[in-house]
Amino acid sequence: MNSFLLAGSLPPDFFGRILFILKNYGVSMAKGAGTTLLIAIVGTLIGCVIGFIVGLIQTIPVNPNDSVGKKILLKIVNIILKIYVEVFRGTPMMVQAMFLHYGAMLLLNLHMDMWTSAFVIVSINTGAYMAETVRGGIFSVPLSQTEGAKAIGMNHVQTMLNVILPQALRNIMPQIGNNLIINIKDTCVLSCIGVVELFFTSKSVAGTYYTYFETFTITMVMYLIMTLFFSWLLRFFEKRMDGPAEYDLATTDTLAYTSGTLSDPRKDFVDDRHLSDTSRTGEDNLNNTRR
Amino acid sequence: MSDKKEIIEIKHLGKTFGKNEVLKDINFSIKEGDVTCIIGASGSGKSTMLRCINLLETPTSGEILFKGNDITKEKNVAAYRAKVGMCFQSFNLFSNMTALKNCMVGPMKVLKKSKQEAEQDALFFLTKVGMAPFIKAKPKQLSGGQQQRVAIARALAMHPDVLLFDEPTSALDPQMVGEVLEVMKTLAKEGLTMIIVTHEMAFARDVSNHVVYMQDGVIWEEGTPQEIFGDPQRQETKDFLSRFINM
Repeated sequence: MNSFLLAGSLPPDFFGRILFILKNYGVSMAKGAGTTLLIAIVGTLIGCVIGFIVGLIQTIPVNPNDSVGKKILLKIVNIILKIYVEVFRGTPMMVQAMFLHYGAMLLLNLHMDMWTSAFVIVSINTGAYMAETVRGGIFSVPLSQTEGAKAIGMNHVQTMLNVILPQALRNIMPQIGNNLIINIKDTCVLSCIGVVELFFTSKSVAGTYYTYFETFTITMVMYLIMTLFFSWLLRFFEKRMDGPAEYDLATTDTLAYTSGTLSDPRKDFVDDRHLSDTSRTGEDNLNNTRR
Repeated sequence: MSDKKEIIEIKHLGKTFGKNEVLKDINFSIKEGDVTCIIGASGSGKSTMLRCINLLETPTSGEILFKGNDITKEKNVAAYRAKVGMCFQSFNLFSNMTALKNCMVGPMKVLKKSKQEAEQDALFFLTKVGMAPFIKAKPKQLSGGQQQRVAIARALAMHPDVLLFDEPTSALDPQMVGEVLEVMKTLAKEGLTMIIVTHEMAFARDVSNHVVYMQDGVIWEEGTPQEIFGDPQRQETKDFLSRFINM
């Protein structure tokens, strides 16, 4: 009993100590995990946006008929983007964190708080990786899709937005998931600039009672739960994006006759329906029949 | 036929890929309402020429006049392409969209039509090619012939002045070839201007009113189907056509 109190009221057995830590520090560790998730998710989302923009600019085709100004501008922008990608892909995120957090303070007299630094670093780091991923995703869509879009008169932006990117996004979903999971784990390097995320919290908790093994067992499980959950969630999204494996024939669908140019054998019946919902678009009709 | 206006005139068209000269001094013209079939062996430059007309390939030399304007110097290529439809050998339907959406996206995004208008139009043309029951299907869920018919509807939904076909039936089995050619026959009867690169000699003979025979990047002979199939003047044309005994 006495020795028990001296040891800072720590239970003598392993699982007892784990329960003890969970009871006393579970909330702060959960808060740390929340911070980790917030930074990872926001960083991945902004990173994806950066990656899409960079990847899109890098894949703008140069036509022989384009003006010299446009060609030079594209060349310069592409060189800058290339440098960005290579620098942030080629240096450790921990070093980038130190460099940007303290560098911004000294060089630009910009005092970023830890949150801002954390979001900025994870975002631009992910952006550099995503830029290459998006480029790969765009190249993974067959050229025939681009030609099909060009042949009906779409310009580059329309082709990208309507045809190429939706397909590229589907193709790079596994990689986006990868990035999110890497970010969940790698935000722990932000502890070096004092961001109180899961790793930072764990280290503090472990240090208080000198219970490194017990605390980091909990930390391991928490990280694993987060990554497993998100890999499941992303698989779910992928399936949703693929759409239904089957389709309904529209033979009995009144929609087939809305063009009004054909005589419908069931004209009376159709007219009734149409009077009641003339403003309906075909898609609503489709959804209705599916339901 | 002579009172009809010329819609496309090709003058001294040349195309080289590196040192490989694919098209050499191509000259011919298409009148409004013409159904032109371009025949010839694979590698003779037929498809390249068709792709030059749509500017999917940039011609190396020469001019392509569309309603009198040289489109090889055109800045707004997309606006020109919107007036010239194209159907591909491999269909090139957008695999992320249903058949209906495939036919709607062009009119909505390029012609800025309302969703309702685009949908009515798309349905009209999908019905016309016999694909109305399949509007909810994605391209990969359709057979080749069905995909090609949707592709034709997609091109028609843009209300093109000219419709180009790049070997539309070459990837299909005989039954599907029939269903696609049936649709094309209907369009020809309605007076749509079409340029068709094809190996379907019977179709070229029966449906077109202008046949062009190409070999080694050069037009060897052109004329009416009766002239080309009935009484070919050049030995090359005779040799080529002799391989199609059962037409």
